[in-house]
Amino acid sequence: MSEIKITDELLLNELTKRFDEKEKAINELKSITDELKEVNAKLTASEQLKSHFIANINNEIINPFASVLGLSRSILEVKENDWEKAKYMARLIFVEAHNLDFQLKNIFAAAEIEAGRIYPQISNVDIANLIKGVLEDFENDFKSKKLTPEIINNVNIEQGKFIFHTDPEKLKLILSNLISNAIKFSKGAKVVITFSQQENSTLVISVRDFGIGISEHNKEIIFDRFTRIDTGINSLNRGHGLGLSVVKAFLELFGGDIKIESKIGEGSLFTIFVPIPDEITDIDGYSSEGNEVFFMDETELF
Amino acid sequence: MKKLFLYPAALYAEKEATEIVTILGSCVSVCLCDNVLNTGGINHFMLPLWNGQGLASPRYGNIAIEKLLEKMLYLGSDIKNIKAKVFGGAEVLETETINFNIGKRNIELAFNTLVELKIPVISSSVGGKFGRKILFFSDTGEVRLKYVGKTNLNSNT
Repeated sequence: MSEIKITDELLLNELTKRFDEKEKAINELKSITDELKEVNAKLTASEQLKSHFIANINNEIINPFASVLGLSRSILEVKENDWEKAKYMARLIFVEAHNLDFQLKNIFAAAEIEAGRIYPQISNVDIANLIKGVLEDFENDFKSKKLTPEIINNVNIEQGKFIFHTDPEKLKLILSNLISNAIKFSKGAKVVITFSQQENSTLVISVRDFGIGISEHNKEIIFDRFTRIDTGINSLNRGHGLGLSVVKAFLELFGGDIKIESKIGEGSLFTIFVPIPDEITDIDGYSSEGNEVFFMDETELF
Repeated sequence: MKKLFLYPAALYAEKEATEIVTILGSCVSVCLCDNVLNTGGINHFMLPLWNGQGLASPRYGNIAIEKLLEKMLYLGSDIKNIKAKVFGGAEVLETETINFNIGKRNIELAFNTLVELKIPVISSSVGGKFGRKILFFSDTGEVRLKYVGKTNLNSNT
């Protein structure tokens, strides 16, 4: 039988060890409490923003609808030879309707994401064409801020088209949000959209504006829902503060990422990274992708 | 039978009998089944708690479990008939420090939340070093599981 000798030294060591552990536990608890406080403050703010959001709907949705209705009534009353006037009003209707459509798409996208009902719908997408389409949608906004969009294509196109495998509707909404923000906050003369591909895989699209820029603090919060940087009552900018949170959630769905570089007064650069989606074609098969190594042949039942 | 691949941060519960496949690394799926109505639902969450960032989506466990239960109750289930199965939460290669012990934290959150909701967990397969591919039959509540050693299994699954 072995005997355990208890020396003073052993006792002291054990005591110090336990004290250290206790101190560590207290520190840990403190940091968790701090974290909790922070989250709590954030949630309270989020709740306030949510009520603000509902109040906002009046401005952002009902008012544009009223002008669409008013304008279409006016068009109906236009004299037959006053073609130019009708065209002018139709353009105004288009601007309002496009804006409404964009806002509603963001609201519904956010609602679907929060309900856990989003799935990528992958198809072959002509990226240059998709970007062109988004820019056309915002043509009037570009004109009214005297901005010119500039597209830089860094993809080696051999067969005339750059086709990428992704979800066109979601990518379109991502780009619409980035471009809409670039227009909103621009003070310069142009917005630069660059697209490229990393080593035949990840699609990289960046949107650069020469505007007011984003502060370090705001960089942390712009992806939170209902957050609008510019919320003053005299704000010329419309929106619900959902755009970038939708952008982020869509990119997470794609397994992609977004990066911001920005300096106050100099402008911002948003860059998105969209990887090629994993092939999930076979649902019932139990040995689909080649990179899976099954080391158990049997299926367990639960 | 209808077939579906469940993406991370999504959840699914419908009356229609469905075969649902999902692949779990450090993520956790909670399957809820009601053997009276023969309906079931499943979620796939990546992080334990929503911290107020981004959207309040089922990417976060606290929201994913709450929303899944809500959906089951909406489909007519009595909470007394709902039973749970929990899968996933493996230790996958950590790339970021914020994801430290993420699998373990996801598992804890799942079990604690289910205890709070008084939903019994009738079976589970959690933790370990390997990812899991599960097939869930929403009508019977049966789950078939295979372990996968996936080379690119990351914190997104």
